[in-house]
Amino acid sequence: MIEDEILKWRFKHGSRTALARIYEKYVHLLLSVAMGLLNDPHEAEDVVQDVFVSFARSANGFGIQGSLKAYLAACVVNRVRDQARRERVRQRHLGRPAAGPAEASEADQSLLYSERCERLSQALAELPYEQREVVVLRIKQEMTLKEVAKLQGVSVSTVHGRYRYGMEKLRALLDGEV
Amino acid sequence: MRGNESFEDIVKKDLDVRTSDGTHERMRRAVLDAHGLSQTNTAAATPTIRRRTLMRSPVVKLGIAAAIIAVVGLGIVEFVGTGGKSGVVWADVAQKVQASRGVIFRTTEHIVPDTYDQGVDFGMHHWSSTQSRLDLYKGGEINRTIWSDCNTKTTTLVDYYHKSYVKMTAEKMPDHFRMADPNGWVQRFLSCKYKELGQKTIAGVLCEGIETTDPAFYGGGNPPETPMARIWVSVETGYPVQFEGERVYDGARHTFVQDQFQWDVEIDESLFEPNIPAGYIDISPTE
Repeated sequence: MIEDEILKWRFKHGSRTALARIYEKYVHLLLSVAMGLLNDPHEAEDVVQDVFVSFARSANGFGIQGSLKAYLAACVVNRVRDQARRERVRQRHLGRPAAGPAEASEADQSLLYSERCERLSQALAELPYEQREVVVLRIKQEMTLKEVAKLQGVSVSTVHGRYRYGMEKLRALLDGEV
Repeated sequence: MRGNESFEDIVKKDLDVRTSDGTHERMRRAVLDAHGLSQTNTAAATPTIRRRTLMRSPVVKLGIAAAIIAVVGLGIVEFVGTGGKSGVVWADVAQKVQASRGVIFRTTEHIVPDTYDQGVDFGMHHWSSTQSRLDLYKGGEINRTIWSDCNTKTTTLVDYYHKSYVKMTAEKMPDHFRMADPNGWVQRFLSCKYKELGQKTIAGVLCEGIETTDPAFYGGGNPPETPMARIWVSVETGYPVQFEGERVYDGARHTFVQDQFQWDVEIDESLFEPNIPAGYIDISPTE
């Protein structure tokens, strides 16, 4: 917490070292969140890189007064939602279904994850998006239901319901595998 | 179920993605490059800090006044030339703000969606021509104070909650100093395209306003997606009564208001002296 406050302070004063530390500290967490939301390693990598690049450019813009970790996660969620919106528009225009989960080619090992992670990511992709978002943010990002409710613009009870149904379905999908 | 782990623990542990060494370095380089580019662009786009000192020179003041008149005469700026319908002469506003000895005002900021506690309800600014003090309030108490001195390029932050402080000397003044500078607001309005908003009463004061959606207003290498800024000036006194700003970054809408202005006040110099309580921990960076 204190470290993040200092990192924010130094970053706002133009420190490259602070930015590098923020990147090192959160890149894997954000990649995991993005993978959980997108079930696509390439897209996850693009989203996280975009978030960090945008963050790097914002040093002279508005200050971040709250949690750095929550802020970066919210940026990932917003980018994923934008991506999903663009994909829906693309489907409407092209009149074809969305591509299934991308499969990382063997030649491209840009991200490293286990088979269990891959299976979990596939199972998460079968949840309705809102439920998936709650499950990933609650479990991986350790956000409270109240924080997720604010991010989703719904009540805490709605988020609680999404979490419960999401976890039940996820458990059923992974039954015997974990 | 593996061992004694709960399903949540397993999900948390299994959902773990890492970069390969090559990807890690490539992404890291892209991020740091973006930062370097941003710093370069912003330095060129926002030379407002030095200007505050320069503007103390009568020669520079005269030069800038002449430039404003020339710009208005060429019709590049739309706000003068409103004939009898306007009670506010905007060029005069810039001069009055510039000449103000000290100013006190409040800043309130909101972010939507607000995914985390901001830790601040509002901030109270005290400004002289080259120094500022910002007290951040939460629950009716000051939880942080930030002093900035343009002459020494020094910023000091005292965090009363964590009983710690940071002292920084930087070539560039911190963001809150640049963005909150009321004189900078007016000057930036002068250099942007904007439209008139007409009159409205704010806190019992009849005001006239102008609005800009020019991304250049916020400067920096990463302009917001939907920038907006408004300034409302008292028809009677010619001083700003309220600044309003809004911009969207990464889907989050930031809005802020500066109000409760007290213009041309003599501020006790001691308020600008950083006051660090005994026993507070120095967490200043060493780089």
